[in-house]
Amino acid sequence: MRQVPALPVVGSFAERLLADDLPDLTAERRHEAVTFIAHRVDTLPSFTRFGVLLIGTSFRILMAVPGGWALSGIVMRLPLPFVGEYPRLVRSLGFAYVWEHWPSTSPTGAAAGAS
Amino acid sequence: MADPRPERWAAPRTTVVTGATGWLGRALVHRLVADPTRERLRLLAHSTAEAQALRASLAGRPGVEVMIGDIARAETAKRLVYGVGSDTDVLHAAGVIHPKKVRQFTEVNANGTRHVTEAAIDAGIRRMVHVSSNSPFGTNPHRDDTFRADEPFHPYLGYGRSKMMGEMAVAEAVAAGLDATIVRPPWFYGPFQPPRQTTFFRLVRAGKFPVIGKGDQRRSMVYVDNLVDGVLAAELTPTAKGNGYWIADARPYTVDEIVETVGRALVDEGFSVKPPTTRLPTLAARVAETTDRLLQGVGVYQQQLHVLGEMGHTIACDISRSVAELGWEPQVELYEGMRRSIRWCVEQGLEL
Amino acid sequence: MIAQHATASMDAEVLVVGSGAGGATTATVLAEAGFDVLVVEEGAWVEQGAVVPFSLDQMDQQYRAGGVTVALGMPSIAYTEGRCAGGGTEVNSGLYWRPPGELLERWHRDFRIADFDPDELLAIADEVETVINVRTVPGNHSEPSDVLRRGAAALGWRHGEIPRWMTYPHADQPDKGERQSMTRTYLPRAVAAGARLVVGCRVDRLEMSRGTASAAHTTLADGTSGTIRFRHVFVCGGAIQSPALLQRSGVHGHIGRTLAVHPTVKLAARFADALNVPDDVPVHQVKEFAPHLSFGGSASNPGLVALSLLDQWSTFRRAITDWQRMSVYYAAITSEGTGRVRSFPGMADPVVTYRLTHRDRELLRSGLARLTLLMLEAGAEEVFPSFQGAPAVKTRRDVATMQRAFGVNRATVMTVHLCSTVPMGEVEGRCGADSFGKVVGCHNVYVNDASLLPTAPGVNPQASVMAFAIRNARRFAAGGSRG
Repeated sequence: MRQVPALPVVGSFAERLLADDLPDLTAERRHEAVTFIAHRVDTLPSFTRFGVLLIGTSFRILMAVPGGWALSGIVMRLPLPFVGEYPRLVRSLGFAYVWEHWPSTSPTGAAAGAS
Repeated sequence: MADPRPERWAAPRTTVVTGATGWLGRALVHRLVADPTRERLRLLAHSTAEAQALRASLAGRPGVEVMIGDIARAETAKRLVYGVGSDTDVLHAAGVIHPKKVRQFTEVNANGTRHVTEAAIDAGIRRMVHVSSNSPFGTNPHRDDTFRADEPFHPYLGYGRSKMMGEMAVAEAVAAGLDATIVRPPWFYGPFQPPRQTTFFRLVRAGKFPVIGKGDQRRSMVYVDNLVDGVLAAELTPTAKGNGYWIADARPYTVDEIVETVGRALVDEGFSVKPPTTRLPTLAARVAETTDRLLQGVGVYQQQLHVLGEMGHTIACDISRSVAELGWEPQVELYEGMRRSIRWCVEQGLEL
Repeated sequence: MIAQHATASMDAEVLVVGSGAGGATTATVLAEAGFDVLVVEEGAWVEQGAVVPFSLDQMDQQYRAGGVTVALGMPSIAYTEGRCAGGGTEVNSGLYWRPPGELLERWHRDFRIADFDPDELLAIADEVETVINVRTVPGNHSEPSDVLRRGAAALGWRHGEIPRWMTYPHADQPDKGERQSMTRTYLPRAVAAGARLVVGCRVDRLEMSRGTASAAHTTLADGTSGTIRFRHVFVCGGAIQSPALLQRSGVHGHIGRTLAVHPTVKLAARFADALNVPDDVPVHQVKEFAPHLSFGGSASNPGLVALSLLDQWSTFRRAITDWQRMSVYYAAITSEGTGRVRSFPGMADPVVTYRLTHRDRELLRSGLARLTLLMLEAGAEEVFPSFQGAPAVKTRRDVATMQRAFGVNRATVMTVHLCSTVPMGEVEGRCGADSFGKVVGCHNVYVNDASLLPTAPGVNPQASVMAFAIRNARRFAAGGSRG
């Protein structure tokens, strides 16, 4: 059974989330982290993967409308079951990747030595 | 582990007691006046009427000085230790537990304690004993849990917050050089109880004491004489500055055991007791607690609601460190303590 | 490598599904008793030392789904499963805890486990400890471990060093231990006794007919299908995969309904001096509040330190530059809640759910607060609890603020101990397997892993898993089951 690849679904959302959390992360590093995130989503157990892609698609649609990103921020903070866990999953994977590969990254994502 | 009984200091020349007309205060004073080595006693009463009653009861005991004042005011504390000299201990037993207004918690329990510690530092006294509570630590997370000697603060509502602030004032004073010890009694019982406490016996007699859920919540309690012993041990035992000690009966009781034991004590003192009938679901205690929280949020304190809300919880503490370090041990347990308490009420002509 | 690659058609007298603490010990006992044993493992063979412990690379190679598995609920609980030759024994911290005697008595009584002698089980534990080389550190402990020791000592809380499955080839290098695991101990022994070990082979389903299983349908690493014929099968895939496989095979009964875990919450603590050890975990644990509540240290490489700050990143982010002065710690509880493992037709993986009780939530709050207090007593400059809305804690007063702000639903809750999905014993409606692991209603299907443990033990369950697996396998070997 072929599965839907995760990158097109979670890619832009993950890019945006990481850019917000780590504004000084270079585009190249961010892209690398996002690729890793998508790879991990691809290997999730079937039901979780389905849920993540479903929520991911909803966020993608939301982001496409004007003011959608701000609205996404509000939705993420709502105490809705599972919805808040999607951004948490994406951020967790991204952060783990960034600091495991570049441990001297600054709190805003800048590479060592940069300010 | 069998430590020898630690050394004790001799009684100081002057003993200062705040809250001398309260439940604990009266029991404490009763003991202090009987000790001839307590040369001078300076006692703080809250009102003229209370002071007169106290003076009358101590007539003939030399060296007793009763002062009137509100500990919530800084000058009261200053006056209290004025000219006492360094051979002085301050036993700070003043506190408010069931106030008319929520703000009294802060005024008395937090600010009052701060005033006492500041005055004590200035006066250069020997040691202060601060009477705290279980309330800065809240309730145990589940019924098998027991508070250890040192626990993180998690104050239970307004009272708990104010008692936490009191403890923090003591900790700051210790950092500034004061020798102070904290004693933490849970729910206490015994002679000198205020008239409102007779409700407790009446509810048990009527079989209407509200037992929440299965009644298997554990509660540490302390017989007031055990507490007086503990306060004096904390005063006179040379321990590290700033330590806190649980002062409670030897073991926690379950709520069911408390109701059963009190009923038995009442019967054995010749009272009729109906079998317990009032069992409330856990939800009732949760609703009461939430309502209490909301009311306290707008400054209103409702005693019944507060007591009911707390009844659903376990509040159990482990006294082993107090026993080891203070060389103190509780002498009386629940049944005997309750019988003495009932007899005292009868002697006072209180209706049970 | 002693493992072989799978082929489309295989057969064995006894098929063992899974090569972790349960499967490897089962295979060893049965092979040494003369059975023709085939062990199939879904994951790969990865040599110890080939990947950095607790790294993302290790997660990719040795964990199921790269380590991203979750029990859904409010809150959801992240968990991990080993998926490689040796299973969870290859990737965990190697801390070893015998099942407490009092717990064995309770299991015996409450689940009416027949012919069960706790002393016999502890005698097996003795054997296991020799085989896997359980021992303490021959020298100084790491600084993150000492934090737990001195914090607990200051508070007068019971604590101690937990022995590990470790060898120390150089006596003067207590930080250069070599962890032992199934690939180094029981699996080679099973193979030496004639067992065959096959990796990259997933069992999708057992073919069942009136309670008897005759074949396993498999998927190999290259995506092709295969079949294994056997006379007896031991399902040892762990507490999630074992019930899932039984469910997919149409086995009903008390399977997958009582998942038990040790939920944990965590914090990162910053100290005055560098202490971070990226590739190892502390060996001290604090057991003052056991079995309800335990404290220990977590893996703390910079990625994991960043993760522990993530929930409150807007205010905690400043700390990440100090990761060398930080270490991550956890508070674990014995939960009264339960979880479920459910399989649905057409889905390769089960749906796992877990529900915490009110008491569990209170205990997690209190646990995190007590752990924070311990950190302050151990000299932490600042403590960062892992939940949304958490304050940074520097003083005792801040701990009160923290407890007030805490909500489990906003916390990162995780677990590494999963058990009790096929509880063993003789209580109808409560046990999925009999007193020796034979699945209720089946004639030749056994479970022999963490699924059998009647409840979560409150300590690392692997010692219990190995001891029970050996006990049950010996019983099978002695029972004339060859028919």
